[in-house]
Amino acid sequence: MINKFNRIIFLFSLWVTCPGLVLAAPEFKIEIKNHLFFPSELTVPADTKVKLRIFNHDATNEEFESYDMNREKVIMGNSQTVIFIGPLKPGDYEFFGEFYPKTAQGKIHVE
Amino acid sequence: MQKTNDYFKTIIKCIGFGSLILTTNVIADGLTIDKVYHPYVQPLERELEFRWLHYDDDKTNSNHVYRLGIGQSFTTNWFVEAYVISQNNADDSGIEAYELEAKWQLTEQGEYNADWGLLFEIEKETKQSIWEAATTLLIEREWDRLVGTANLALAFETGDNIDTELETSLAMQLRYRYSRALEPALEFYMSENTLGLGPVLMGEQRFETRKKLHWELGIIAGLSDETPDATLRALAEFEF
Repeated sequence: MINKFNRIIFLFSLWVTCPGLVLAAPEFKIEIKNHLFFPSELTVPADTKVKLRIFNHDATNEEFESYDMNREKVIMGNSQTVIFIGPLKPGDYEFFGEFYPKTAQGKIHVE
Repeated sequence: MQKTNDYFKTIIKCIGFGSLILTTNVIADGLTIDKVYHPYVQPLERELEFRWLHYDDDKTNSNHVYRLGIGQSFTTNWFVEAYVISQNNADDSGIEAYELEAKWQLTEQGEYNADWGLLFEIEKETKQSIWEAATTLLIEREWDRLVGTANLALAFETGDNIDTELETSLAMQLRYRYSRALEPALEFYMSENTLGLGPVLMGEQRFETRKKLHWELGIIAGLSDETPDATLRALAEFEF
């Protein structure tokens, strides 16, 4: 029994650790100013990994959060970060700022 | 920056190769059903954690294991948590061990075909002279709404009350991201004396800004004679 499972786990590990073809992901920029995202709506290509570079121009921290895209990341005040999203199917994916959710809201259109 | 990326890629390849060797012969003592760790760290993250495990065995009948932890991230990719572990059964009760763990997020989520992290743990039993140190490789990969996670652990035990030995164990989780409030998952655990598989439900309840409760509830069925027929596990994590 154990040997059988070992074989399954071995194949899983082999597959996961195989170096994937890492292509340069197209980069998009989002800025945070006065607890708002600019742009608040962004269009990105479908079935493509995308790099979002997020600049937080506010002195306060913010967190980019999206259950739709399975991402959450804190961006410290007056700093920037990178978030990789996708590949995503066509559709709309919402995100918001966890620290200022009433104002910091946005949407990614995938087409 | 390029040098840093090359450095991480080399580490990942070494770890990956190590995990392949590790998984060809998984061995470990005792019941290793616990929880599946994810390879991510958030800056400013702080949490209180409570875990409960219940199983019946032939020796001590009903066993309850409680674990209370407090954790804090110290940088963008390091998270440290301290635990007090207690056990309650017919023979014994009270604080069983103290544990300190540190999680290191190695890669950016979604950058490569899988996300990688490492977990370092050190545990000291209170009633016996037993020390345990472990390193666990954390791997996670997404397929749309399905998320697969694997934890491959290498542990070293030593002390006056135990033979010095090296142990390995494996935990895997396949989770469906149905909604923030409810996510069903299937978990698999394997080590020398554990072979278990079972369903787990989990979810997240948000409160005020940056305050949320994550919960997990599962039942793991034993698939070998050494593994308890059913192990109940529950977890509550309060982030603040």
